[in-house]
Amino acid sequence: MIRIFTLDEFDPALIKALTKSLYTAFGVGSEHSGAVTVPHGQQEPYDANKLLDAMPKLQALADDKVLFLTSRKLAPRKLVSGEAPTLGLSRYGQQRAVVTTATIKNVADNVKLLARYAMQEVGHTYGLHHCLDPRCAMYPQWTPSYALGEASFCTYCRDSSDAKIRTTKS
Amino acid sequence: MPDMTSLSVGDRLVYPNQGLCSVTEIKTEEIAGQKLTFVSLVIIETGAKVKVPREKLEKNGVRRVSTADDVKKVVDYLKSDSEKASLDWKKRARENTARLSEGGLLGLAEVVKGLQVLSELRPLPPKERELYNDARHLFVEELSAAMGVHQADAEDAFDILLFVPGRDRPKRTAEEFAGLAGEEDELGLEGDLIGIDGGEEPETPESEVEKAEEGESEGEGEDEEAPKKKPAKAAAPPAAAKAPKGKKTLISDVEVTMPATLALTENLPKKRGRPPKPKPAVAEPPPPPKKRGRPPKAK
Ligand SMILES: [Zn+2]
Ligand SMILES: [Zn+2]
Repeated sequence: MIRIFTLDEFDPALIKALTKSLYTAFGVGSEHSGAVTVPHGQQEPYDANKLLDAMPKLQALADDKVLFLTSRKLAPRKLVSGEAPTLGLSRYGQQRAVVTTATIKNVADNVKLLARYAMQEVGHTYGLHHCLDPRCAMYPQWTPSYALGEASFCTYCRDSSDAKIRTTKS
Repeated sequence: MPDMTSLSVGDRLVYPNQGLCSVTEIKTEEIAGQKLTFVSLVIIETGAKVKVPREKLEKNGVRRVSTADDVKKVVDYLKSDSEKASLDWKKRARENTARLSEGGLLGLAEVVKGLQVLSELRPLPPKERELYNDARHLFVEELSAAMGVHQADAEDAFDILLFVPGRDRPKRTAEEFAGLAGEEDELGLEGDLIGIDGGEEPETPESEVEKAEEGESEGEGEDEEAPKKKPAKAAAPPAAAKAPKGKKTLISDVEVTMPATLALTENLPKKRGRPPKPKPAVAEPPPPPKKRGRPPKAK
């Protein structure tokens, strides 16, 4: 189950469309599991790493994925090689991920792009890496062509995610 | 080369093609009147255990986790306009196999970047797409350990160099790769390398490649550190490394038989096609016991 927890107000229709896209992409059930409040000390733009650590423990099974959805900005991360634009972040092979709608213009008309961000972050929690195919949701999000793609994986990533999901299912 | 005699329990090492592992035991045993020191390792990602004679570690390319200095070199390499991969797939396969087994962190970077740049000329064939992902996986894992950051930050740290933000990737022309082709077939490798590029691999059938992959089920909210995640698809553990987490060392029942141990350790780096040298006449390790978890069905 992919559980979406909202950190801000969202149009229920948007969340519904997002859960549907995630279900289609992963073949795993997805639902809006509730709203959560960001703990004190986290300020916009959020430090995505700190945010993932700071969020409280939530009701979820070991093989569930927890996706936090926010409309606030995530600060670019300063890495050894430069700054990484941060539209989402996840814990590889683990449980938690966060995605922001802050950079998506008119998100109600662009659920596809939000779904792509979410697919990538959830994909990372299943152990998927970035992909070479610009049409694939696992392609790096900060590239210009990313926004043009559909909410889908390439065959390679789709097969990898199927395989991972099958082996992690309890 | 790091000195493997100064190892202690808890040290983190990198096993070529397998990834991060940590030393769980160092023990000297007497076998047929000869004293041998064995090092037990657990492969962090899968929990698989391996026991190797200490002298074999270096021979198998086991090394310490890269340092900040190595990371800096890798960043410089990724930023540079480096040499293109060979257009001759046999040569490429041979080079990439060597890089994975003895190239260290930089070798992993070379495989990833080489294949990535090649993909800007033409799509990678399935085996190399798999290799690209495997190398990427090992690279991310070690980089995250070396930098002390989460894997997402490690992957993004090199991907902002390989996929520059705000820019689409260049289209390459064959001319850029020129000068590297044309040496084909002088190496006499056909016999050894056939099959790497789409055919069947001579050893290690794909179906054996799945490993003890489950077992890592973290509850929500559990604390985690950076270096921990799911296995790479084809980073097959050694035959003996397929034991499910927490079980006894798989080769423990054969550890006194040198041939079996040798076969096991010798066999490790061969996963992705043999190096071009003739194969020593070494017995194959016994087939790995079936472990829990079914292999993915072919589609
Ligand atoms: Zn990503
Ligand atoms: Zn893909």
